[in-house]
Amino acid sequence: MRETFAEYARTGDIALRDQLVMAHMGLAAYLARRFANRGQPLDDLIQVASLGLLKAVERFDPSLGIEFSTYATTTIVGELKRHLRDKGWAVRAPRRMQELYLTLSQVVDTLGQELGRSPNIAELAAEVQASEEDVLEALEAGQAYRFASLDAPRSDTDTPEPLGDRLGQEDVDLARAEERATLLPLLEQLPTRQRQVVQLRFFEGLTQSEIARRLGISQMQVSRLLTRSVAQLRSFAKQPKQPKKS
Amino acid sequence: MPEFLRLARVTAAGLAGRLGFNYDEVEDLRLAIDELCFGLTGPTGRLGTVELRYGLSDEGLVVEGKGHFDDDLAPAVLSQLSTVILDALVDEHHLGTGPLGPEFRLVKRHQDGSARAGG
Repeated sequence: MRETFAEYARTGDIALRDQLVMAHMGLAAYLARRFANRGQPLDDLIQVASLGLLKAVERFDPSLGIEFSTYATTTIVGELKRHLRDKGWAVRAPRRMQELYLTLSQVVDTLGQELGRSPNIAELAAEVQASEEDVLEALEAGQAYRFASLDAPRSDTDTPEPLGDRLGQEDVDLARAEERATLLPLLEQLPTRQRQVVQLRFFEGLTQSEIARRLGISQMQVSRLLTRSVAQLRSFAKQPKQPKKS
Repeated sequence: MPEFLRLARVTAAGLAGRLGFNYDEVEDLRLAIDELCFGLTGPTGRLGTVELRYGLSDEGLVVEGKGHFDDDLAPAVLSQLSTVILDALVDEHHLGTGPLGPEFRLVKRHQDGSARAGG
């Protein structure tokens, strides 16, 4: 492999470059998986990691005597961090808050599992070693975080099963609820997955953490889906009915 | 309005955190504040001010809002959608028209029913 790098450095042959990239795709996929479960689809992360790998191959100087994997890891991780910081936010939030939110998005679930209940703000702050004010600000800023596509493969596993397939079928019992019947025209305008989260929270009375467990998504995702759904329902309520989206 | 709503949510979340509310309850409060503030201003917004008062009591966190608006619209009434949402989010809620304009009140208690702060 070292000879191939040396030859590519000398000739700039694209075929050699592609050969080197393909030979290290496993490293890119491995690093992408380490950044999964932060609200971004694994496919996107692998794509970003592959771009980092390509840059690493093009810039690597074999004469420096360091291992390519060491050099490439730094480049790929840098690309992944930039992607998560910049591309995932619909509204620009301070970087410190973005990073804290991404940390919290994991801690809320893991700490909730450890405690067997939803953690309080003081417990979250202690876990991430931040002030309670910073935690609250990060949670508020998190509402600007983009929604992971529910049609994309789950980001925390290698399985290609879309999240939407894990959400189960519509509960027929709900159709009997009087409120739901009245509000059905509004609810029908929501994408299927959002409608299900709304039903579970507002009609079945499940908490956000219970919904997260049932649907196999993070609690932060449930929070963002609910916030967006309520805003959309408000907007539907004051507009003529739109064509069904999902 | 959205930026002021953000402040209203952060204030409520901060107080709820001090009361020991868990993450689920804090998230519920944030949504409820949004819903009731929209109930005050209506879907299209109104010129004027919204006054919010936060209270910590034996019953939990109490938030009261009053709207002082330049116009004189129909009495504030919760839509059925808002009622369903608020029923699921908070323990008590009310939106109506007081002597000076539209006003609301919400109460959020701990999920275990206990009150952990007074005053």
